Amino acid sequence: MPKRKLDPLPSAAFQILLALAGEDLHGYGMMRQVQEQTGGRMRLGPGTLYSSIQALLEEKLIEEIDQVGDTEPGHERRRYYRLTSAGRKLARAEAERLADVLRVARARKIFRGDYV
Amino acid sequence: MSEKIYAWLLRLYPSHFRQAYGDDALQLFRDRARDEQGFFLRARLWIDLLADLAISLPREYRASQPALTRTLARKPWDGTPSFQVLEDEYPRFGALLFGSVLAVAAIAGFSVTLSHVEAYRLPRAAAVKAGRAEHAGSSPSQSPVAQPSGEAVRASGLPSAQNASLVAPSPRVRAGVDDTRLDAAERHRVVNAVAANLKAHYVDPEIAGKMADALLAHEKSGDDASATTGDVFAKLLTTQLREVSADMHLVVVYSRAPLPARPLGPTPEVLARYRNALQQNNCTFKKVEILPHDIGYLKLDSFPDPAICQSTATAAMGALNHADALIFDLRDNGGGYSEMVSLLAAYLFDHPEYMYDPRISPAQQSWTQSPVPGNRLADKPVYVLTSASTVSAAEQFTYDLKMLKRVTLVGETTGGSAHAGVFHRIDDHFGMGIPETRAVNPYSKTDWEGVGVGPDVKVNAADALQTAEKLAVSRLRTR
Repeated sequence: MPKRKLDPLPSAAFQILLALAGEDLHGYGMMRQVQEQTGGRMRLGPGTLYSSIQALLEEKLIEEIDQVGDTEPGHERRRYYRLTSAGRKLARAEAERLADVLRVARARKIFRGDYV
Repeated sequence: MSEKIYAWLLRLYPSHFRQAYGDDALQLFRDRARDEQGFFLRARLWIDLLADLAISLPREYRASQPALTRTLARKPWDGTPSFQVLEDEYPRFGALLFGSVLAVAAIAGFSVTLSHVEAYRLPRAAAVKAGRAEHAGSSPSQSPVAQPSGEAVRASGLPSAQNASLVAPSPRVRAGVDDTRLDAAERHRVVNAVAANLKAHYVDPEIAGKMADALLAHEKSGDDASATTGDVFAKLLTTQLREVSADMHLVVVYSRAPLPARPLGPTPEVLARYRNALQQNNCTFKKVEILPHDIGYLKLDSFPDPAICQSTATAAMGALNHADALIFDLRDNGGGYSEMVSLLAAYLFDHPEYMYDPRISPAQQSWTQSPVPGNRLADKPVYVLTSASTVSAAEQFTYDLKMLKRVTLVGETTGGSAHAGVFHRIDDHFGMGIPETRAVNPYSKTDWEGVGVGPDVKVNAADALQTAEKLAVSRLRTR
């Protein structure tokens, strides 16, 4: 069933794509990165995080990579994920869509003062 | 610890998700728990987790829904019953076991609740009415149930204004119409008298004060203005008292017929009439027989004053002394004297036993005078027949012997009338029952007030004797 979960793209999935745009990350890393890039507003819980990852994997927007040798010793192997080119494309499309929204919002003078 | 909790919560997810990401989710939890120490961060972590659970659980199950609908669509229903499961594996044994235990617990809980609802039914009005009708119908000579007691006339704790006639042996002359109209001054007088009586006699002076204040406050705020008849006013005052104290034994009563001027202590004429009635009735020992198989049968319709009836009681028990089993038939027993309860119960024990009576403080007569010289009944099986009209002292007999596991009760749940207050006269028409003593129940927090004493063998009262005889015979055979 194509696009069962990702159309429209949920903000959690979009944030994960953005997080992976910088570097390959494991689950906890994504959660931290998302938290950082949203200024602490979005903290992905395990359920949301992994169901998003599952959906993104199914759509081949991200892929799992074998990364041996965890940087932190004494920890079990973690699954790392990487953005695919399709994922990057979708993230870009979504960002452009949001940019359009932003442009309209600016034109409607929703923002106050010199914020923009 | 918290990791275990979370691992358990993770089991709520569909199995395909658990298999794929369960370990990762747990790992994520571990990472966060490691990094987020301190009370605030921990609380935030758990809030996050629970919110996440609430959001993602339904989504996961919704996501597995299409698979199910497709299966259904693919397989046309051919009439054979079948059911679909979301998981594509068989349920675990543990899950099945847990499910059945839960189901059994739910069913058990449900039936317990149901039977309790039955126990807290409100049959009082009907039972009391029936009792009263019977009471009024019988002639004085056949009605030794109206017990004049020695030191104080006892009021049963019923919220009925007509109780006045039961508590005080007054001639019941019922006026055809109620012509008594209450005005504010009259009500004020009654309220003051009730308050004064409470302060003087109630078992807990502090609550008595509170109740008195509440009555005056109600009167001041005009709550009583609508009560223009004695009946309504007495009920209203009773309600107001119970609102404060929650003591169901407090009662204000109204009697259309004037209450006797001296209700404390029966008059000699009343006593003489009672004595006469008892003697004509063989002290309500209606039947003393030996049934087939040497089963002793005693039908007793009240527990009369031992001061008058001790010899009758002794004779009756003597006549049954050689029985192999005993049946006490209390189906028509309207109660009476606690002393008679102890006197009869004495024959059933070889050592003194305490006969608990909620109405009186423990006294010497609360203990049975066991062993009774020459008595052979102390170790014989005993059956007590009960019905819904088994009340008051008869219930004390039934309750105590049941609690002491000395008897088998056969029949119906008893009437449920335990408590009594001491009756205080306010004026010609108003009076009130006030509990002054309260004995501690050695068996449980509650007694049989309102709920009765339940039988061990539940049959209709009419069939109780036959059933008890059968039980006794089969018990004697197995010896």
